[in-house]
Amino acid sequence: MNTIIQIAFRNLLQHRRRSLLLGGAIAMVTLLLVMLSALLNGMQATMLRNGTTLSSGHVNVAGFYKVTAGNAAPLVTKFEPLKELVEKATPDLSYVVTRGRGFGKIVSEESSLNSVLTGIDIQNESGFKEIVQVASGKIADLAEPKTALLFEKQAERLHVKVGDNITVSSQTFRGVNNTVDVKVVAIGRDLGMLSAFNCFVHHNAIRDLYELDPDTTGAIQLYLKNADDAREVAAKLRTVVAATGLRVMEPVEQPFWRKFDAVKREDWTGQKIDITTWLDELAFMRYTLTTLSALIFVLVTVLLVIIVIGVMNTLWMAIRERTREIGALRAIGMQRGRVLWMFIVEVALLALGATVVGSAGATVLCLGINAAKIVVPKAFQMFLMSETLWLIADVPTVARSLAIIAVVTTLGAVLPAWRASRLQPVKAMQTAS
Amino acid sequence: MTTAYAATETPIVKLVNVDKDYELGTVIVPALRDVSLSIAAGEFTVIAGPSGSGKTTLLNLIGCVDIATRGSVIIDGSDTKVLKDKQLTELRLRSLGFIFQSFNLVGVLDAFDNVEFPLLLQGKLSKADRRERVMVLLRQLGIEQYSHHRPGELSGGQRQRVAIARALVTEPRIVLADEPTANLDSKTGNSILDSMQELNARGTTFLFSTHDPRVVSRAGRVIRLVDGEIADHNATAEDVAQLAAAAHAA
Repeated sequence: MNTIIQIAFRNLLQHRRRSLLLGGAIAMVTLLLVMLSALLNGMQATMLRNGTTLSSGHVNVAGFYKVTAGNAAPLVTKFEPLKELVEKATPDLSYVVTRGRGFGKIVSEESSLNSVLTGIDIQNESGFKEIVQVASGKIADLAEPKTALLFEKQAERLHVKVGDNITVSSQTFRGVNNTVDVKVVAIGRDLGMLSAFNCFVHHNAIRDLYELDPDTTGAIQLYLKNADDAREVAAKLRTVVAATGLRVMEPVEQPFWRKFDAVKREDWTGQKIDITTWLDELAFMRYTLTTLSALIFVLVTVLLVIIVIGVMNTLWMAIRERTREIGALRAIGMQRGRVLWMFIVEVALLALGATVVGSAGATVLCLGINAAKIVVPKAFQMFLMSETLWLIADVPTVARSLAIIAVVTTLGAVLPAWRASRLQPVKAMQTAS
Repeated sequence: MTTAYAATETPIVKLVNVDKDYELGTVIVPALRDVSLSIAAGEFTVIAGPSGSGKTTLLNLIGCVDIATRGSVIIDGSDTKVLKDKQLTELRLRSLGFIFQSFNLVGVLDAFDNVEFPLLLQGKLSKADRRERVMVLLRQLGIEQYSHHRPGELSGGQRQRVAIARALVTEPRIVLADEPTANLDSKTGNSILDSMQELNARGTTFLFSTHDPRVVSRAGRVIRLVDGEIADHNATAEDVAQLAAAAHAA
């Protein structure tokens, strides 16, 4: 085997220009795959981080309250005992928050906009305080009643700054229009798509707006030590909650705000509990990632096909040039399998070298881009869910990309190598040099 | 015509009524017709004949790199017609050594590695034993100092010696050489023939295909081929010289 590797390596060196061109192409495709995967990882991580901070817990114990069959409010009444129950039943729990849910119009002196309204108790929101970067004002001031946090783009649209008052207007769940005046105490930096349509107010402001009792909330959001356990925990909580006699809704992979129409059409009244995960609540964002993954897959597949054609073409040339050598080696007793291996090893060496170079280059580029904190245009911020490019080229991503390109490229060598191994020694030796 | 080694009567190569046809499109070209011959172990035999007489075809059949269209080719007791590719390859590796007219060395390996290669394929000897055997051969052939030179850095004679060393390194029972002196000057050619005769004296069977009178004059036996048929099983050097002169004049 050592001699086969030696022959392969020396042949690559001997045809340096050809090896460099093909190796360069393989390295570039590897670099592209690693960088695109790193971008996808970055988006995924940002989505998980920002999405689970701004609009969902890892697991949400929420629900709908229907006064009449045709009406539905995103409420959990008498939430304290339920909160205690789910806290006890959840393994590896990091922390729990309760949030009010609503939708209304935010009106300033000069402008207005529609927004999702989220009521928070900032003292309990450790994750929120970590993620939301304040551009002006103080996030801690959200502890005061009748206060609000807007994001930069919202504040710009409303022409408000810290200290200004805004009016939040909505229809109560009994169908009466109501308003609440709140003071802007902080303006947070934009966090992509989610911060564009989310406004945070003191929890009691939501209760005032919708005329709710203090023992009513919108959702109990559970944050786990490992977000990947969310589905498992949600399934367990459904059983635990149902065992107390509360009615629990069937799981549907949708955010709560897309369930209103279906719930309104259902013929029941009173409280039903809906236990969802961040995967359900952020399903619409996951579609973006899925689409991007599909695009990356198509792009990389096309590039891989080109590379495989390049590999095959190069190998056909090499075999043509070395036909007499193959004939001689077969004549002196080299079995077909070894001839096959000789060419496969040659391509495998090239592929491995090129993919290692490509991966290393991509990793360095990713680190450089992250360090440079490159601010992307606003339109892209929506999709990236972040102001800056954030690429995660972790070990599994790099290893996966390296393995995919190296294996596919090497597989491209199988057919030419097999044909080489099937050459009749006598015919191969009669080939003109 | 002398041979230092006394050939045994047991045939190591036996051909019985062998025909070999080549297909060129729809035309069938007969290369060998009804060839029967026996070569005993230890012979120093030359297959002589003009170009196109079938010498290389006959050598290819004996070397198990080609299969007869009809008839039997029995090498070292094995009928090549019934052997599968893997077994034929194994037979070539264990029993045969090839010296090609155009050397056919692996260009990216140096002289030592080229010679060592068949031993690696056999996988029987340790690294130290392989090294010793290769170096002994390179020394015998006078190219020890070129062991780290690649074929491209060697002269024609040196390359041919490397090819000879590669053919002999596995200590094969039969060595087949196709026009081994065709690309060499007379001094180098004679020197190489001397080396081969020395090895033959130690028991290796040599079978040459050539029309070089220098080789013919050293053969223990000359088989003369004409138009794919054996014209003479034991021709003299004079017969071959006359034939060559006639062919040259024509």
